[in-house]
Amino acid sequence: MTINQANPTIVENKIDPVTLQVIGGALKTIAKEMAHVMYRMAYSSLIRESEDLGAGIFDIFGNTLAEADSTPMQLGCLPGYIRGFQEKLGDNQHPDDIIWNNDPYAGASHSPDVALCQPIFYKGELVGYAGATAHHLDMGGAQPGLMIDVPDVYAEGLILNGVKLYDKGVRNETLFEVIRQKVRTPVQVIGDLEAQVAACRLGAKRFIELMDKYGKDTVVSACEELMNYSERMMRKEIAKIPDGVYEAESWLDNDGRNLDKRLKVHVKLTKQGEELEVDVSGSADQVSTAFNVAYSGALCVSVHSVLRSIFLDTYTTEEEVPANEGAFRPIKITARKGCIFNPVKPAALFSRGNQVNTVADLIIKALTPVLPDQTCAGSAANLQFASYAGLDENNEYWVYIEVNEGSYGGRPGKDGMDAVDFSSWNTMNNPIEDLDMHIPLVCEQYELREDTGGAGRWRGGLGIVRWNRFLTDGFMTMEGDKHTVRPWGYKGGLPGTSANLIKNPDTTPEELPSKINGYRFQAGESVQILVPSSGGYGDPLERSPEQVLEDVLDEIISIETARRDYGVIIKERKIDLSATEKQRAKIRATRGAALSLYSE
Amino acid sequence: MVRVGVDVGGTFTDLILVDELTNQIHVHKVPSTLEDQSIGVINGIQELCEKAGVPVTAVDYVLHGTTVATNITIERNGAAVGMLTTKNYRDILHIARHKKMENFSIQQDLPWQTDPLVLRRNRIPITEKLAAPDGRVKVPLNEKEVREAVQRLKDSNVDVVVISFLFSFLNDEHEQLAKKIVKEMWPEVQCFTSSEIVPQMREYERFSTAAMNAYVAPRVSKYLEHLVSALDHAGVEGELHIMQSSGGMATSEMATEKPVTLLKSGPSGAVLATAWCGDLEGVKNLISVDIGGTSADISVIPNGTPKIINPRDAEVNGYPVLVPMIDVEVIGAGGGSIAYIDAGGAFRVGPKSAGANPGPACYGQGGEYPCVTDANVILGRLDPEQFLGGDLQLHPELSYKAVEETLCRQLDMTVEEAALGILKIINNHMALCIRAKSVSKGIDPREFALFAAGGAGPLHSVDLAETIGCNLVIVPSYPGISAATGLLVGDLKYDFIKSHINRLDKVTPETMTSISAALETLSSEAQDQLLKDGVNPEDIVVERIAECRYAGQGFELRAAIPDGPITEQTIEIISKKFHEAHEEEYGHHFPENVVELITLRIVATGKTPSLALPKLEIGDRINPGEALMYERDTVFEVNGEIQRFPTPRYDRSKLLAQDVITGPAIIVQRDSTTSVPPHWQATVSENGTLFVAAKAAQGGAAESVEKLFSKVR
Repeated sequence: MTINQANPTIVENKIDPVTLQVIGGALKTIAKEMAHVMYRMAYSSLIRESEDLGAGIFDIFGNTLAEADSTPMQLGCLPGYIRGFQEKLGDNQHPDDIIWNNDPYAGASHSPDVALCQPIFYKGELVGYAGATAHHLDMGGAQPGLMIDVPDVYAEGLILNGVKLYDKGVRNETLFEVIRQKVRTPVQVIGDLEAQVAACRLGAKRFIELMDKYGKDTVVSACEELMNYSERMMRKEIAKIPDGVYEAESWLDNDGRNLDKRLKVHVKLTKQGEELEVDVSGSADQVSTAFNVAYSGALCVSVHSVLRSIFLDTYTTEEEVPANEGAFRPIKITARKGCIFNPVKPAALFSRGNQVNTVADLIIKALTPVLPDQTCAGSAANLQFASYAGLDENNEYWVYIEVNEGSYGGRPGKDGMDAVDFSSWNTMNNPIEDLDMHIPLVCEQYELREDTGGAGRWRGGLGIVRWNRFLTDGFMTMEGDKHTVRPWGYKGGLPGTSANLIKNPDTTPEELPSKINGYRFQAGESVQILVPSSGGYGDPLERSPEQVLEDVLDEIISIETARRDYGVIIKERKIDLSATEKQRAKIRATRGAALSLYSE
Repeated sequence: MVRVGVDVGGTFTDLILVDELTNQIHVHKVPSTLEDQSIGVINGIQELCEKAGVPVTAVDYVLHGTTVATNITIERNGAAVGMLTTKNYRDILHIARHKKMENFSIQQDLPWQTDPLVLRRNRIPITEKLAAPDGRVKVPLNEKEVREAVQRLKDSNVDVVVISFLFSFLNDEHEQLAKKIVKEMWPEVQCFTSSEIVPQMREYERFSTAAMNAYVAPRVSKYLEHLVSALDHAGVEGELHIMQSSGGMATSEMATEKPVTLLKSGPSGAVLATAWCGDLEGVKNLISVDIGGTSADISVIPNGTPKIINPRDAEVNGYPVLVPMIDVEVIGAGGGSIAYIDAGGAFRVGPKSAGANPGPACYGQGGEYPCVTDANVILGRLDPEQFLGGDLQLHPELSYKAVEETLCRQLDMTVEEAALGILKIINNHMALCIRAKSVSKGIDPREFALFAAGGAGPLHSVDLAETIGCNLVIVPSYPGISAATGLLVGDLKYDFIKSHINRLDKVTPETMTSISAALETLSSEAQDQLLKDGVNPEDIVVERIAECRYAGQGFELRAAIPDGPITEQTIEIISKKFHEAHEEEYGHHFPENVVELITLRIVATGKTPSLALPKLEIGDRINPGEALMYERDTVFEVNGEIQRFPTPRYDRSKLLAQDVITGPAIIVQRDSTTSVPPHWQATVSENGTLFVAAKAAQGGAAESVEKLFSKVR
């Protein structure tokens, strides 16, 4: 599969550096403006508060020219959606069309992520696309919100590719009516689709203005040069690691139906010269539930995202490298047909976050020995993605979808980040006040998970506790993982804490598996989600006693953990230095000389 | 009426006095006294009044822009804040919106976690809970826990207390009750509640704004109290007004209550001055570059209107701050920026600054590091005896020594090469920032004029303009004190808000009465405040705004509320205005959807008298000998070559309207120096504004002043 290609129509066309920067900046702003329109206009909190959306401008081959700063998972996938409908429609694309694609076998990330794209014509010629994706609350599948245990992709709900929501500017009322009758939350879904349409219209308008101002050829060659630049930067960084093969593997809890069967994830990186191949073919076969992964829309996006974060970390890279397709040209991603990362149709593939986050974590793990300053210890690397649904007093559905964050492993020189999404997710939480105002579900607790995570010279980041209570009868679906695997510690750092899901923690606590599917709750019942805390980096005995004391005072770790894992003795809010020295010597003596590189 | 504008910068305190009786303007500049800014302020006012021949007691208004609050956030030396918060939600400030700063980064820092405004140990959970959607009490406030918490905070030496409970925007009963207990147990401590600071939905943003307010409050109030008593002591009887981040002024009492509104007080003045001057001269698109001793403040002003950041997007150093703010960026680049060789051997300039004391090497106050000002002295662009009108004699030999010893040997450069290098690097820093604010937003800076503000602005602006492709630089009459000038054109302005959540399709007569009453209360609060501030009733403008959204959406847009009591008709007009605003903002509206009112906002403005500059006589001369002071060698780089040019110095105060000066030239005035390189030229407007344009300029911003240069074409 060709993921991206250079635009062959470009002739070597020198463009002055100021104009290049002006056009690059303008493209970025267009993408930002598009996203802005979406989250400001949108109805579902998943889009307007969590920003689970993407928006960008693409060339005629679907290559990204610019994308917004929303969550990466929604961004890198748009090229796949565009190529998906291009195959279907061919030349049947016209000005003011709005083209729908949410087919995970034709580029979609998963079926609730609907892409709407507008082909942009300039003086009668196709010059690119404005596209927007968003995670919709419901597509009328087997159950409201999210799903795990469904028989096939058809059970996921309405899936279309290459169908026009607007045909040459004319609203397809039939399709709108189908949606109105098919989905459980028509007001939100239609409002959110309209927000996407508005974003596309704005993007197309702005792109045409840009061409009016600078000329089509200048804009096209600027776009190509910006991609070449990103490619050069990526190649330069890849070249720095030694040629060779790097591998790592881990396990997923289960597929959501066969609860005692763990699933292997295997990552093999082959680096040669300036190029890198990522092969996940050694992973488990596809499963019979929706716990499969779309190859282009989910796997590739996630792999690209973590490689960008490692090789061109925006925090440590001085130059600004535009986020476009150029950076992915030196990367090849392989997944055996029939494995969990490249299933055969009609397998369902709704729930893919935990698998691709595990791949990202394993890529980091495989590269730690050669890139110790650009990686981190084992992270939460999961996605406790929860949907809640029920009926209101008028017997109409309410659906609420929540991304529960994770945390990052300890890093060279600093502790891991607490309470953030991992790798290719970067959503926002929904304010509790907004939730309680709008949905018959109340949040009872939202706090850090005290005294968890792997100890280390640099401690693993903390996960969170989220406790929600149903006010009406309802269903919950949780696509979670990492109940049976702990984030790995690195270079003497201790492993982190795994996840947990507890029903009715305040009355009759009951531990639930990591995945539940349309699980029924009565009004008044509640559920508590505990997301993993990450692994430590480096020997905990090398963490300064002062830092350990700070953590104890902040109730991040307990006095007992300070003694047991860090060998620091704290009495009456002060360090007992001599007792600390003795305790540390004792731990050193019992654990032996050699620390293993990884702890699990 | 006598008004004095005082802007305290990192290096200098700038002052301007306007005597409206005589229509005379006087300006002055004194070194800032950073350990206590008020000393410099008082000295400056006294010296300026003496100069102007106005008794200190005759000053009616002292208008003040201050960086006290900003510096606290930059230097991270705010107060130790104690916080009472709802039990089970202790970490709202630590989790924030659970979104990373950067999408593609493993090594990034999250400021709210690495530098928390309130340490976790000082965030004390209290049993209490209000319930949505009406704010009714679900769990009563546990007063015993509040008392224990206050005692604990008192024992652990926190400086200030903030109370942040969930849903307090619906009902502030628990926050107020807890505050009462704090005040009773600890009367001397400053205590704020989140609903007082910003009564709006979204707990993280509200808590963070309140915490930021508490974080800066003790030092800001101490400073303002100090300043008020020092003014009093000096015999100044006039009112003290402070510039807010919004570009509106507040009285010192109002500023003390909500110091979080002062985070961009300093940089706002120059932005207002830029817009005002652009309006005066008919130049619409401006980039304001205010270069002082320590920092450069950069703001892009399209169509003559300073941009206000939407409060939902407003943040300071990574922390959300839900108050109106002018869009201005501050970077560490100024005359005092230190040039050095870093550990890796790279040639760097700034952001470290030598400040005013010891200052650059040439000040002769013991500074050993070469600074940007030293580079300008070496290149002959700053004449040692003219700096600050000769008040501060510079020592060029010390500049040479500093550059020679710390840079030349390691870089294998001549002193002049190294000095030019310093300027190139510092100008590039500013150019990058301008690009980020313009180019990266699709605004082409080539269509904008650079407004050179700050003492060092006119020295750098032409080089900077060349770097970003602008062909026109505007130098106001008093560039060195632009920020202070801006203070004179700012109106008193306050925002008063109240949450009032109602669907507009189901408005009962009771709701209409309640909205009317709420507006009435807010308006009279605002009116009273402005009257108390001494504004004439006829100069008060009250804007009534309904912040609405479609029911189910998350973001509000503003709709103006018509005058008079709220009736069914006014509700209809509000809905209509909201649909229109939605159409304008997003290109779409949903006529059949329900509109929901979220917040009532009153923006009350007290108009202040505007500034009138005396007109200049017409000179219409080319390189007028009457203004020529002397000629001296100056170094410029032309087409990549370093060259020395015999360069005339002109006295700006002797230039008349429509005079043209051809480059190379240096135009000297007390508070600044303008460098006109060989292929640039300058002219003067009847208001005394200096335009510097590229000789070969075509199109771009220079088009608007083309006529003025016709006689040298």
